[in-house]
Amino acid sequence: MKEKHTGMDVVWRVLLYIWALTIIFPLAWVVYESLKTNQDFFQDIWALPQTLHWENYRDAWQEYGFGRSLLNTLYYVGGSLVVGLFFTTINAYALTRMEFKGRKVIWSLIMLSLFLPGVNALVPQYVVMRELDLTNSLTGLILLASLGESVFYLMLLGGFMSSLPKELEESATMDGATLFQRFWKVIVPLSTPGIVTVAVFKFLGFYNNFMAPFIYLSDTNKYPIAVQMYSANKQMEFTADWVTLFAGVTISMIPCIIIYILFQKMLMEGATMGAVKG
Amino acid sequence: MVDKTANAPKKSAEWNKGKLQRWIFLAVAIIPPFGGYLLFTLFPNILSVYYSLLDWDGFTDPKFVGLHNFVTAINDKYVWRALGHNLIYMLTVPLLVIVISLLLGYLISNKGYKENQFLKVLFFFPNVLSTVVIALLWAFIYDGSYGLLNGLLSLVGIDMEGFYWLGDEGTALAATIPAWVWGGVGLYVIIFSNAMLAIPKPLYEAAILEGAGHMTRLFKITMPLVMPIVKVAALFLIVGTLKSFENILILTNGGPFGSTDVIGLYMFNLAFGAEYRNFGYASAIGMILFVILVTAKLLTDRFMPNRDVEF
Repeated sequence: MKEKHTGMDVVWRVLLYIWALTIIFPLAWVVYESLKTNQDFFQDIWALPQTLHWENYRDAWQEYGFGRSLLNTLYYVGGSLVVGLFFTTINAYALTRMEFKGRKVIWSLIMLSLFLPGVNALVPQYVVMRELDLTNSLTGLILLASLGESVFYLMLLGGFMSSLPKELEESATMDGATLFQRFWKVIVPLSTPGIVTVAVFKFLGFYNNFMAPFIYLSDTNKYPIAVQMYSANKQMEFTADWVTLFAGVTISMIPCIIIYILFQKMLMEGATMGAVKG
Repeated sequence: MVDKTANAPKKSAEWNKGKLQRWIFLAVAIIPPFGGYLLFTLFPNILSVYYSLLDWDGFTDPKFVGLHNFVTAINDKYVWRALGHNLIYMLTVPLLVIVISLLLGYLISNKGYKENQFLKVLFFFPNVLSTVVIALLWAFIYDGSYGLLNGLLSLVGIDMEGFYWLGDEGTALAATIPAWVWGGVGLYVIIFSNAMLAIPKPLYEAAILEGAGHMTRLFKITMPLVMPIVKVAALFLIVGTLKSFENILILTNGGPFGSTDVIGLYMFNLAFGAEYRNFGYASAIGMILFVILVTAKLLTDRFMPNRDVEF
């Protein structure tokens, strides 16, 4: 629609820019304050840094044990991603493209999860994890994160897989391919776009996950980055070392920003689908 | 959808091999994820009913107390205080998110500003940030001595004298609302603007020919056509604000003096808080919350325009 711009357009644009500013400004502020010294910051919270104090990043890295919590994050996020992605994909294949006894029951039990808010299950889930000796363990968190069903992922992948023509698999069977080979060599490559979307959502979900690590890890040395930032903030209440915390927050945002730059379109499409249907 | 592997057996040995393979495949594909779902999701949900009838600190022997926990909950003024806060959030957060998202979504989809594509991408960005980062950003905004809000106010000549917005009983609850709204708007801007873009152009063209102005088109075409999605969004947001407490936990942990406590957080702190642990009572409150949420969810589904989840 081509319309001529009128006086009201100024108002509309200002509204759009104000909202844009509420997003850009706090983030930019944290980043540029992270390059000042505490004294400069206390003196004037608006001024840009005179000289760039990159050592804040070194301090943040050391003070908040970023090296260690980065390793924890890599293990927890990486492990959950690899194991979870494998099971989500093969599970979606079996549930959408195979016919077997009990399939209907399994589907209806999974659909039940849409009605379970989950909050009431936090305590019993903790007890189950404790009985299985999976608390205070990153491996336990990986199992909790990767073994389960998600209607959102099943829909995303199932939608993809059920649109693939049956003939592809049949011709592979003629060539003597086993079920595993067919899944691996035919279905997985053709479902790659769906699998990548699931992977991006899983990555962000695990990387940003606060609640599960916070509940299940009692040893602070096992904290992944999100929980580490929470305790860094608690620590800061006593040390008043703002600039180091700003540097820490900035570091912790980098993976999200990279993922967003690379996959924004995919994220927007997936999120709207999840919110409208799931 | 029928799997045809076993359909044309040539030799019985080969047939058995195929069948075995199928069984192994299904076992690998179904048992770990579905088993995990049963163990970590369904079973705890059933267990929570039983736990709500116990007096149990999680370590010593549990004692069966019947409905005692529920009686305690009804007489617990903190439960009512928390539910009252939930009600305030429920009435404000969804409304603000929807109004702001509708306005921004409309501007982005209907006004052909060249920066709109960029703005759309920018508006969605808070969605990829963790709750922790969002909460910390808002803690920086509300800080008394060095916060952005007091800084802005002092630029226009209002000296707040180091007033800490999240540390005062009178302002903490109101201060958490913008933080919540800010994190929620991006997704709905995209949803609403996509819905508006999906409205067929001829509808508008016909209306223009008939002499309909901007406002007529907005209220006679755009709004009625996106209304079903707005309804779904509203009910989603209501359920969401009822059950989430992570942001409040990080921002204020319910304080100061319980002025931002919500029911989920109250339950969480009863079970996992620093002071004491009461798994039984926490589960009873979880059950109450469960009933409230399922009721809300059932209402959601009644209002759903078409739920095309079908397999």
